Amino acid sequence: MKKSGRRAVQGNGANLSDLEINEIVEGCRRGDREAFRAIYEAYKDKVYSIALYFFHGDQTEAGDATQQVFLKLLTSIGSFRGDSEFSTWLHRLVVNTCLDGSRRSKSRERFAEPEEMARIADPASQGEDMERQEVAGRVQAALSSLPPKLRMPVVLRYFEELSYAEVGQALQCSAGTVASRLNKGHKLLAEKLAKLREVATRR
Amino acid sequence: MKMPDEKPPLGPIEPGQLPLEKAPDAIWRSIEAALDARDVRDTRVLPRRTSLFAAWQWAAASVLTIGAVGAWYATRPELPSWQVSRLEGSAAVDKIKVGDWLQTDGNSRARITVGDIGVVDVEPNTRIRLVAASPTEHRLTLARGEISATVSAPPRLFLVDTPASTAVDLGCAYKIKTDESGDGVLRVTSGWVSLEWKGRESLVPAGANCRTRSGTGPGTPYFDDASESLQQALAAFDFGKGGEESLGTILLQARVRDTLSLWHLLSRVEPRDRVRVVDRMVDLVPLPTGVARERALQLDPATLKSWREELAWKW
Repeated sequence: MKKSGRRAVQGNGANLSDLEINEIVEGCRRGDREAFRAIYEAYKDKVYSIALYFFHGDQTEAGDATQQVFLKLLTSIGSFRGDSEFSTWLHRLVVNTCLDGSRRSKSRERFAEPEEMARIADPASQGEDMERQEVAGRVQAALSSLPPKLRMPVVLRYFEELSYAEVGQALQCSAGTVASRLNKGHKLLAEKLAKLREVATRR
Repeated sequence: MKMPDEKPPLGPIEPGQLPLEKAPDAIWRSIEAALDARDVRDTRVLPRRTSLFAAWQWAAASVLTIGAVGAWYATRPELPSWQVSRLEGSAAVDKIKVGDWLQTDGNSRARITVGDIGVVDVEPNTRIRLVAASPTEHRLTLARGEISATVSAPPRLFLVDTPASTAVDLGCAYKIKTDESGDGVLRVTSGWVSLEWKGRESLVPAGANCRTRSGTGPGTPYFDDASESLQQALAAFDFGKGGEESLGTILLQARVRDTLSLWHLLSRVEPRDRVRVVDRMVDLVPLPTGVARERALQLDPATLKSWREELAWKW
């Protein structure tokens, strides 16, 4: 478990030490519902956010994926042997659940046009950091335009701040493959963001 | 290795600063509901060994209670039932009770609400029966036709019997069709389904299909995007007299994802051919740590399970 600079343990109000994680995992293995609740509380926002960024901001898909991740976690916790970090194992669950969900709803996959993305990116609230929200919305919209294979590494790298090796472990591919996908993802993102800015300026 | 720029073109947003979104409370409530349903299943009374004396006592008590049961039967509560709604055509029923049959004609479709765990859409020309609707078992018999099931429940709570298999829901959505003899096909769109028949089991994940045949049960699962020749070879292997030639085609055509089919073939090929299947699987995906080749060849259940769990990441 990484201890600093990671949403895995920060940003959720849950600063868990390795020892605490081990105890909670053991509790989950014994079927202790309180332990399961603790792990849910610690990681729910992180899992939900990854799913939300992956599923184009679709809250229903993200909610379904989050539920599935935690139910899978509970049923397969016995297979977590502790020879990798818990967060790595959890990332694999999230990645597989999201990609599974993506395959399932392939027909609903959207590769939105710039005008449509600008609409998605339109800020819903008028809060004080509206500009930042607008930019975040644009990024989310641009991310949505990437194919799943490129979208997930970008989300893990720039939302979760994982290293290439960690992204590789989560995606079950080499760091080189991660680098190649990120490279392609960056190029596409740059193009989409440029178009989005253009559309936003026109409005 | 050439790495991309450390800073992606995300404008003023830096890596790690995309906003963290709060998970809605409803997610935990739905998880709790699923856990509660599972707890109900886990409290089932399992058969226990009884002594001969206890058995006699039980028999005597049974005789005495027959009268009481008869009295209860006359005033028994109504059997559990599920709601039925019309999707198309002229379906006239609004519920189906345990023991009832529901039949659609060539122009009708109906939807059965499966307790509080999901729905089953009944396609035209289908005959289906509600067998059990208890907290521990939701069971239908599909005599012929086609249904689409979408179920959100703990594994093994929802089951559909067909003439050549039982589809055991492991948390999923799927379509299954069969004719009266048991020839049919299952297609899984989400999660996993286990197709079982007289000790033979096929585990079918999302995106995969599995044929069933009268007298044989479930065939070998394969993915939608598997090559046509692989699919044909599997059919010949499972239900025809494909043998050696079919196996050769399957091994040649298999991709990484098709290790789903190869894993199932491990226990279905002749012992002399098993080594070829293992070799091809290892060519496609290196043997994971903790899976011993020799034990896999011996069909050690724990080894096969571990191997499947690792391969499943690729499926």
